[in-house]
Amino acid sequence: MASKGKSRWADDEDDAALEAQKKRGKEEKKRLKTEKARKLEEEKKAREVEAARASQAQREREDEDATRPPTKRRRLSPDRENTTATNTTGRSSELLRFEGGAFGRCRSVENYDKLNDIEEGAYGWVARAQEQSTGKVVALKRLKIDPKDRGGLPVTGLREIQILKDCDHRNVVKLQEVVVGEDTSKIENIFLVLEFVEHDLKSILEDMPEPFLASEVKTLLLQLASGVSYLHDNWILHRDLKTSNLLLNNRGQLKIADFGMARYVGDPPPPKLTQLVVTLWYRAPELLLGATRYSQAIDMWSIGCIFGELLTREPLLQGKNEVDELQQIFELCGLPTEETWPSFRRLPNARALRLPAKVPGAATGSAVRARFPLLTGAGVSLLNSLLALDPDKRPAAREMLAHEYFRQDPKPKVEAMFPTFPSKAGQERRRKRQTPLAPVRGQAVELGSVDFSGLFTGRDKEERGGGFSLRMV
Amino acid sequence: MAHMTNPLATPDQLYRRHSFSALPTELQDAIFFSAQCLTQAAGILLQLPQSATAQANVILARYWLVEPLMTYEFSDVSAAAIYLIAKVGPSPRSPRDVSNVYAYLLSTSSSFFRSPSSPPPANDPSSYYLSDTAYQAFHTRVLAIEARILYAINFDTHVALPHPLAITYLQALEFLNTRKEKISRRVVEYLNTALLSPQMLYLTSQPNSLAVAAIYNAAKDLGTKMPECEWWEVFDVDREELGFLVVGMRSVDGWARKMREDVPKMKEGMVTRKDIEGEMENRGLHVGNGHEEELDAEAELARRMDEKVAEMETGV
Ligand SMILES: Nc1ncnc2c1ncn2[C@@H]1O[C@H](COP(=O)(O)OP(=O)(O)OP(=O)(O)O)[C@@H](O)[C@H]1O
Ligand SMILES: [Mg+2]
Repeated sequence: MASKGKSRWADDEDDAALEAQKKRGKEEKKRLKTEKARKLEEEKKAREVEAARASQAQREREDEDATRPPTKRRRLSPDRENTTATNTTGRSSELLRFEGGAFGRCRSVENYDKLNDIEEGAYGWVARAQEQSTGKVVALKRLKIDPKDRGGLPVTGLREIQILKDCDHRNVVKLQEVVVGEDTSKIENIFLVLEFVEHDLKSILEDMPEPFLASEVKTLLLQLASGVSYLHDNWILHRDLKTSNLLLNNRGQLKIADFGMARYVGDPPPPKLTQLVVTLWYRAPELLLGATRYSQAIDMWSIGCIFGELLTREPLLQGKNEVDELQQIFELCGLPTEETWPSFRRLPNARALRLPAKVPGAATGSAVRARFPLLTGAGVSLLNSLLALDPDKRPAAREMLAHEYFRQDPKPKVEAMFPTFPSKAGQERRRKRQTPLAPVRGQAVELGSVDFSGLFTGRDKEERGGGFSLRMV
Repeated sequence: MAHMTNPLATPDQLYRRHSFSALPTELQDAIFFSAQCLTQAAGILLQLPQSATAQANVILARYWLVEPLMTYEFSDVSAAAIYLIAKVGPSPRSPRDVSNVYAYLLSTSSSFFRSPSSPPPANDPSSYYLSDTAYQAFHTRVLAIEARILYAINFDTHVALPHPLAITYLQALEFLNTRKEKISRRVVEYLNTALLSPQMLYLTSQPNSLAVAAIYNAAKDLGTKMPECEWWEVFDVDREELGFLVVGMRSVDGWARKMREDVPKMKEGMVTRKDIEGEMENRGLHVGNGHEEELDAEAELARRMDEKVAEMETGV
């Protein structure tokens, strides 16, 4: 700039040389930028390929990169190309500042006053509370800690905290902070301070005299799919989607909660994930059949189950145990065939499973249409795709958002127009409900090693009335 | 989602550490450096991926910026950091494995921090044998410190490392006259050494800046021609920060050598709290336990603020 000011009149050689040099610099930087973008993309691909190779090998060989979201660079202050082009000095002064925040000790739970219990069960404890300094109402969730566990603080709890800290989406419950009990010489009581949300969908469904309207179901499903798509985009599997883990506030906003089962996965997912995830009634068939490599599609199955539940107010597939759950799935969705689920036979528990060659009477195909006679064609097609037996055939959350079902009449209801419900969490103590066979944290190995075939023994008679029977070899 | 960034130390945290600790700066630095080296050695013996060990280094640094150095035995804090990071990552290690590795590194059989001139120590298994009671005690300490670390860093175990970024940047830069492996190796060396720096570079700079500074240094060392433009700006690093990091990264080696001379204990294995207390006594200084240190710090801060206020009032 200075040199330019001095030689305003004389466009002499020096100036020209300087200009040329600046221009070269600019071009070089531009080239570098494009090159960098290309390399980052390549790098990402390379890492994915690498991850694929690594996942074949031993678990300990697995690289950290494979389990973290890839190093996506956040893009950026709007168009630096433009800035550079108009900036005559050739020096773009606005560099991107990366903000990572600060760190420091947790605060004490004594900063909050308890208002009432929301849920108190064998493990968990959630209460409504108020922050003293601000008067803000929050939900306090105590981390389940077993003081006798010689492994220390449970990794599930630590993951829940880390994932919630990393998330920022309107359909994912916000973690405000983590606080600890007063005595900090021993950290034994750890609480998640969550934004308070008036209801959970399970309680609403149990109490509502009439089912949700079609337009309301659409709004809820869209929000659920949008939250899940955010999670999946960021390599997070929730692994316990069900109506009691979906919260709804008085403004019709749905928030995904309870990340106690969630974890980061790479693409392809790391081998040997625990099968002990997802509450039985929402558990995908590949999990029931013992898959240890699974993907985002297990969450999509749960969304299918939730879809059905929103329509009828009743859980869709209420199996009494794993075998019964599988039985009910096959009754609703049809038996797996070479065509509908090619890789089915390779799953650990499928080998021991004998399926009837022909199903007497009923068609082998899906019974979804018959079960939901009032659902539109588009609705049936969406539900059918979510409940595809073959995980590869289920839509991704992002694809689901674009489904025709949401564009047809009746249109999704505007969130603000949602009816309000009396909030149990806000008032009285909630009764502890029965959640059948919810995954028990920290015991993955135990259930994983249960001999699935054993569950079938003695069951080679007719399993249920009408339909068909499952038999073991 | 902030996967590319880290929480950084605030100026206040850095100031407090240097001004208010009961320990002289060079002893603080000696503790920091030796504990970070111990952590790296343990990571290797535990066969953790280098990325996990580096994360443990960063977590340890964050912890000590918030909590007094003398509260727990340094090697226990190192063990807790590595146990915690391994647990939340893809390569968990059992308390038993961690305990064995630390028992070995702290024993007379290990060459960790022995003077290179002295003969290698004889391997005497009894020197790193742990009785069951000793193991249980270690285990209990590690779990308590694990929880304490989490408390101090607000349960944020995420650490973004500059290493993958640096490799990606290198590829974008395409240094023509140097073999890629050669320069990459040098870059990684700089990044790993920076983990040990008592300047706590990983707490003052974001990964993109660390990556660029390591590349700059490596290219300089190998006489590689760098682009003529201010290429670091492409990676969002300004000249001033680059300059600071370039010098910071280059000074670690020389600084470590000098420190080993200044703090003779550092030639006799891992520094312990007892060593530091002895050193303080030799110097005629008082060493409190962690709590006193903290209270002192607060009292000191209050006193200085009073002074400032008084100054301002008399000034008016
Ligand atoms: N942020 C919140 N605001 C209001 N209520 C909440 C909130 N988070 C959780 N709850 C209530 O507490 C219940 C249990 O919470 P959550 O599912 O997170 O804990 P959990 O102990 O893992 O439960 P479970 O083991 O039964 O699945 C929820 O079903 C909901 O009713
Ligand atoms: Mg729950």
